[in-house]
Amino acid sequence: MASIVVARFVVPVAHRTLRQILSKRSIAKIHNYARTLQIISPEHTQKRSYAEKQVFDRSKPHCNVGTIGHVDHGKTTLTAAITKVLSDQKLAQLRNYADIDNAPEEKARGITINVAHIEYQTEKRHYGHTDCPGHADYIKNMITGAAQMDGTILVVAATDGVMPQTREHLILAKQIGVKHIVVFINKVDAADKEMVELVEMEIRELLTEMGFEGDKIAVIAGSALCALEGKNPEIGSEAVLKLLDAIDNNIPTPIRELDKPFLLPIEHVYSIPGRGTVVTGRLERGVLKKGADCEFVGFSKVLKSTVTGVEMFHKILEEAQAGDQLGALVRSVKRDDIKRGMVMAKPGTVKGYDNIETQVYVLSKDEGGRSKPFTSFIQLQMFCRTWDCAAQVIVPDKEMVMPGEDSRLILKMFKPMVLEQGQRFTLRDGSQTLGTGVVTKTLPMLTDEERDSLLEGKKAREKKAAAGKK
Amino acid sequence: MIVLRNLTRYFHSSASCTAVEKSALASLRKKTGYTFANCKKALEMHHNDLNKAESWLKEQAQTLGWSKATKLGGRQTSQGLIGVYVDNNDGVLVEVNCETDFVARNQEFEDMVREATEACMKYAKSSPKSPNAVTKIGLDSEQFRALKTKDDKTLADKLALVIGSVGENATLKRAVCLKVNNDVSLEGYAHPSGKSRNNVLLGRLGGIVAIKSQNNSQENLEEIAKGLCQHVVGMAPKRIGNPEGEPAENKDEEDCLIFQEYLLEDGVKIKDFLEENQVEVVDFKRFECGETLEVVGDQPLELLETCQ
Repeated sequence: MASIVVARFVVPVAHRTLRQILSKRSIAKIHNYARTLQIISPEHTQKRSYAEKQVFDRSKPHCNVGTIGHVDHGKTTLTAAITKVLSDQKLAQLRNYADIDNAPEEKARGITINVAHIEYQTEKRHYGHTDCPGHADYIKNMITGAAQMDGTILVVAATDGVMPQTREHLILAKQIGVKHIVVFINKVDAADKEMVELVEMEIRELLTEMGFEGDKIAVIAGSALCALEGKNPEIGSEAVLKLLDAIDNNIPTPIRELDKPFLLPIEHVYSIPGRGTVVTGRLERGVLKKGADCEFVGFSKVLKSTVTGVEMFHKILEEAQAGDQLGALVRSVKRDDIKRGMVMAKPGTVKGYDNIETQVYVLSKDEGGRSKPFTSFIQLQMFCRTWDCAAQVIVPDKEMVMPGEDSRLILKMFKPMVLEQGQRFTLRDGSQTLGTGVVTKTLPMLTDEERDSLLEGKKAREKKAAAGKK
Repeated sequence: MIVLRNLTRYFHSSASCTAVEKSALASLRKKTGYTFANCKKALEMHHNDLNKAESWLKEQAQTLGWSKATKLGGRQTSQGLIGVYVDNNDGVLVEVNCETDFVARNQEFEDMVREATEACMKYAKSSPKSPNAVTKIGLDSEQFRALKTKDDKTLADKLALVIGSVGENATLKRAVCLKVNNDVSLEGYAHPSGKSRNNVLLGRLGGIVAIKSQNNSQENLEEIAKGLCQHVVGMAPKRIGNPEGEPAENKDEEDCLIFQEYLLEDGVKIKDFLEENQVEVVDFKRFECGETLEVVGDQPLELLETCQ
């Protein structure tokens, strides 16, 4: 009985497996053969190298950081050390000092910036790291939005302590809207414990003075050079890891566009017989579902409505996500009530403004800007999202703005439009782009009198000023 | 129990002991502002005697500054400030460079440029005037560095102190002095302005114009001159130009002052503006921070004038 079982079941199974093993071997042989062929003809593989480009892994949240500090305090060494330490954990690609140091000229949105962008990741997050040589470069970086810094690492050498210009570094951080700072005291290998403690005290004092929470900010001491050279791990690689940990914990992850309340800048409005009014555009942020309450804001109007259907490519969409080009059917709104330039948003989340403070970079002539400087009271066209609006420019800090310069500008718009802090826009003068900027602050709405005065000419302004003096 | 008490005592005494030393280093740093490394060295050399250490540091500041200056000497300086100072019939324009615009915004550096401008003005006043309506005296870096400040130190020494303090290379690049006759008036302008103190204007760009006028009130003339100077700084003309000459074909590339469109009034040419106000531009000088010097044209002539 048992022998029959063996003969009938086990034998064929054994046969099959044997055959499989044999065939696998032969396949392996062919593989080997193919590999040798590849080695013999290397041009063939080189041609296809584009296919080997790495795929960006989006599984970790992204965060942008940057370094600021004195030129000799080791910003670049620290950045190189971070990539070194993380590359040991297979989380980054090692970048040499020289790669980072000569911050290449980058043309972001037609503006030349000296900036180095480095990428790395920790266990928790993925980072974009920015390093610029000068104040003006950081400002340009902020305005173009190449990599908005969510937080920054202030590098101070323990041997020198706080320098006179550290104050200027912190002013910059405030100016570009950085709220979260982590301090790295560098070069502790050349200093003693006492000095490091004193430097820490000094930095905390200065941070508090400049309006940051000096007592709560994380301060890490170490030596970037040791980390880069792989010496003294307790002040080298371990300190760098501690710093990265502090960044992970102290700089909050920015809210994703997808998680914000929805906003749709309106591109077109259609009236579809039998259905109603449809607005189209690209959903800038958030998620839009059928049945959602919405609000149309812009051109000093606010209209409330409900979304009764969302479509994309003539197909019904369960929910539209940020980035989708869509059409939305809205209830009880006439086509003539809405127009391009208005914004459809979750009720109460956006507001129209006509008086704003901005930081603008004025293009130099080489970048396609104008060759002449401009002064206050120039009237420019402001382009933003799907709308454009005339605005009067006031230069608060100086008498004129030169091409190639960044400046704080107050814009008084002829009509209130939907705006918010951090909103980017372009200023044009006739057919010429004059500059790009970012809204830094919204100011109280213009009074009727102020709005009327926007249309006044130079003569009328002078007359008024003279009357005011008397 | 006794052991424990001893232990606490040990901790206590040791803590207070370091606290004294720490405050010595901290207070020395706070008082003098020199780097921690130097403060520490000073204390070690003088066995924690604060006063001695402080006076030693002050003595050493100059040499330390110089050694830092030599160390950083090769580094490129393309940022900085222009100082403009006009006092009746004398005007000066100076350029001091540094490495980053962070330093250019710093108070210490500003004070240094102000001092350099004042020193240059002193030199301008003491120099003889030529019979021409406008005397231009150009100073190159070497001559500029050798000028003396109020406390009888050379500007180069002062600069070394600043270098020692900010830890960045800096250079005294150039200066020009203008002296005019009584019938010519001078006006200066710096951009971005707003940092004026003791009549010294500081900015990234600077200019001085010399104008001659008939029957204009003093107040009116000042306003016209200031506007013209702002125009020179903003529009960067290369020469005054000849009224009989031909304007450039491309309006945007016009580098003759009189054919340019007036910055403060759209559609008005400088030539017409001058005629309307009966003003004549005799000369002008414009400095832009970090600009590369052209060694062609009037430059060598200016330098010739310095060898008096």
